[in-house]
Amino acid sequence: MSPQGETKIPAKRQLVTKPSRTADKVFFGLTSVAANFSIVLILLILGFLLYQAWPAFQSQGFSFFSGETWDSSATPQIFQIGPMLWGSVLVALLGMVIALPLAISLAYFIEFMAAKKIAAVATTLVDLLAAIPSIVIGLWGFAVFGPVAQHWASLLHDYLGWIPYVFYHEGANYGGSPFIAGLVVSVMIVPIITSVTREIFSQMDRDVVNASIALGAGRAATFRKVILPTASGGIVGGALLGLGRALGETIAIFFVLNLVFHINFFQVINGEGGTVASMIVSKFGEADASERSALMASGIVLFVLTLLISALSSYIVKKAQPWRTN
Amino acid sequence: MVETLLTESNAASHLEARGVHVWFGQRQVLQDVNLVFPSNQVTALIGPSGCGKSTFIRTLNRMHELIPGAGFAGQILLDGKDIYEDGTDAVDVRLRVGMVFQKPNPFPTMSIRENVLAGLRLTGKKNPNMDELVETSLRRASIWNEVKDRLNDPALSLSGGQQQRLCIARSLAMDPAVLLMDEPCSALDPGSTRRVEETIEELADQMTIVIVTHNMQQAQRVSHQTAFFLSEDGNPGGVVEFGTTEQVFNQPVDPRTNDYVNGHFG
Amino acid sequence: MTATQVQTSTMKPTNPWAKRNKARTRDVVIASLLPGILAVVFFFVGTALGATIDPAVLLIIGFLPAQLLAAFLVGRKYYGRHGREDALLIVVTIFLSTFVMVLLLSVLWSVISAGALALRPSFILQNSHYISGTTSLEYGGAGHAILGTVMAVAITTILTVPLGFGIAVYLTETGGKARGVIRTLIQAMSGLPSVVSGLFIYSILVLQGWQPSGFTGSLALLPLMLPTVSRVSEEALRLVPVDLRNGALALGSPTWQAFAKVVFPAARSGLLTAVLLGVARIVGETAPLVLTTTYNNDTNLNPFNGPMAMLPTFIFGYIRNMYDTSIQRGWGGCLVIMILVGVLFVGARVANRKKK
Repeated sequence: MSPQGETKIPAKRQLVTKPSRTADKVFFGLTSVAANFSIVLILLILGFLLYQAWPAFQSQGFSFFSGETWDSSATPQIFQIGPMLWGSVLVALLGMVIALPLAISLAYFIEFMAAKKIAAVATTLVDLLAAIPSIVIGLWGFAVFGPVAQHWASLLHDYLGWIPYVFYHEGANYGGSPFIAGLVVSVMIVPIITSVTREIFSQMDRDVVNASIALGAGRAATFRKVILPTASGGIVGGALLGLGRALGETIAIFFVLNLVFHINFFQVINGEGGTVASMIVSKFGEADASERSALMASGIVLFVLTLLISALSSYIVKKAQPWRTN
Repeated sequence: MVETLLTESNAASHLEARGVHVWFGQRQVLQDVNLVFPSNQVTALIGPSGCGKSTFIRTLNRMHELIPGAGFAGQILLDGKDIYEDGTDAVDVRLRVGMVFQKPNPFPTMSIRENVLAGLRLTGKKNPNMDELVETSLRRASIWNEVKDRLNDPALSLSGGQQQRLCIARSLAMDPAVLLMDEPCSALDPGSTRRVEETIEELADQMTIVIVTHNMQQAQRVSHQTAFFLSEDGNPGGVVEFGTTEQVFNQPVDPRTNDYVNGHFG
Repeated sequence: MTATQVQTSTMKPTNPWAKRNKARTRDVVIASLLPGILAVVFFFVGTALGATIDPAVLLIIGFLPAQLLAAFLVGRKYYGRHGREDALLIVVTIFLSTFVMVLLLSVLWSVISAGALALRPSFILQNSHYISGTTSLEYGGAGHAILGTVMAVAITTILTVPLGFGIAVYLTETGGKARGVIRTLIQAMSGLPSVVSGLFIYSILVLQGWQPSGFTGSLALLPLMLPTVSRVSEEALRLVPVDLRNGALALGSPTWQAFAKVVFPAARSGLLTAVLLGVARIVGETAPLVLTTTYNNDTNLNPFNGPMAMLPTFIFGYIRNMYDTSIQRGWGGCLVIMILVGVLFVGARVANRKKK
């Protein structure tokens, strides 16, 4: 009743939903215990691994990250994960480079080209394939796909071997190379990236897409100028999700990649490599206390790496699609 | 006839808002609302969309605070006692101040009968005479004749208008002293609207009713007094005019009220 | 009535807007089929004449350029400038999509065809007592590992589901203050490499003197299952309209009753989906089990004591043997896991569909 602006505004009280009854207090308490458990769990993981890894970090110093030797029988023992660290990055990047165009094509095909029924079947299939355990992919990569990929590698060598360094290869055996590991990893992450990308495509405003086509822009121009720019943030987020998965991938790579402690920068079809995760599994069984500490240290490095990727991806997704979080 | 069926009966209550200011986060949406809702009276809150009347009605039973970032200042007196006082339980307030929402929201997993009794089940209250309570509540909401033969059907099998009256019956089963209705007829057809209005008239004998409505005729038909809310140029909303319905509609003091009730804007 | 019918049946739809252009249809069909046919003919004729033609090379440097050229020409002829771009986009999309679907289907097909050779009643029912890597497939099986997986996954599920639901309820129902932090952490946990989870349980339990058992394996699976369960159930709870919660609260219901009697029943199928997807996530998880459990050829019904085999470690062990028969057993194990995953997945789909 009083005109606005003249009344003195009293102090604002922030209202929150507070439990009042005992039963509600218990209910709220239990849920926040569960929520806090996730904090505790992450802290425990970081804390215990760090505690166990400390001796290794201390004895190895910075060369733990950069050196190329892993020898538990030497005195003093030498544990350096340089080649593995680089190998993880190389294999994950190769996997990404192969998977990204495939995943975007597949998502575009499902969302914008295929008939409804085919799209539905393909969507189900992609979601199911995203759930294939890595040991199954590992066995497939080792027993079925390996020989095929080795043949492809030999073709690359035959036809593109004139390119220096990258397609260099020695010996007759094309197995165990980063190229094959990258392919196997890409098969693992294609379904993940596809399903994220497809979801983003499906959430896009169809009117915008149709309007662009109605203006006579054509499919290709619409894809380049409307679809990709709108979806790019989400696609990058999905790609980083796949990259995180690729970095942590263990068993599938264990079966298809040779473990060699020598940094192999870009000789992708040469059978030298190894990743942090696959190294942990292959060394863990016979490790003594100090080697185990070094493996814990490798684990924590890997974890921190994936944490960074995940933080980056959620930042990008939040920037690109504010409606996905609230 | 009704009161005897209930174990504890609330008489209609006197409700009063004093100097109410409301915020969402940093944004103030209501400024200095002072209104009195005497017992057994129907008060209509009218005004254009976005003027804060729905927000205001939610402060009357402390539903406002469920929204994250909700801020509040002032007093809501229920029979002289501030419901925002420290130590007052929002759950107790809502037991006495019932609410019917804009969109019918029967519980989808329950039958018609279970929906009527939902309040008892949810609050752990006992009533020895469940069947009679179901019948009385449905009768008071003028829906008994339509559903008496299918009380165990799912609530979602009802039409929209019936669902809304079921939601009214659900509130009535808790025998509230005050009933808040937030545009209860906006999703209903004219026939159902008429039935709900009749229900409101009958209920006024037993409780205090506050109703938000966009429909001028409805406000004139059902209410004793009317408050006109307005928010201008992005300022917080407030009450421009408050008086008997007769006065607000026929001799408005403020020209803006005159424009609104005669359909010149909003 | 009859008259109208007769009339409708004689009426022909006229689509004045449709460009009926027989020449265009013909050219599009030719452009779509000809390069493929030529490639196949070239391959067989060439092979018959004694040349060695590599299908992969033919595909990349023969068929694909020919197909692109054909599409380009037809697109340009009938649709002008944007037609040729569109044609290239369509060819590339279909080519890459086909390639990736072939790869993915090859995984499924390999598991089914190779696994079927190992799968027989004894494979499901027997354990691997006295079985070595070269023993014939007629003897022994993965029964003990299946039991182990079922028990370990059941324990993980019993521990994880209340936690996951609790987190989801915290995020959606209680308006808790730490929601942003919790969401971020759950996101971070979903990126936890499985081998690190194994290292964690090893360092916190095994190094402190616990013997590796089925239970330590279960615990190592927990951090991997938790993010899936809490994320999917949060989504399920969020699908329950706010109106329903408000309806319950406006009746004077305490929050926990509103959750238990209104929100939970409405979200039940979505929550079931969350559990099923969570189980599917961990049922084939191998790396953490390799670190935290020890393999056993015999059946162990006590997950809290002694070595216990599980399907992933069963497969892992036999593949590492590298004998043909042991790899066969690995395929058999993979098929069992894929059947489990498939069943869980279909279950989740059905549960999700019922809701809509």
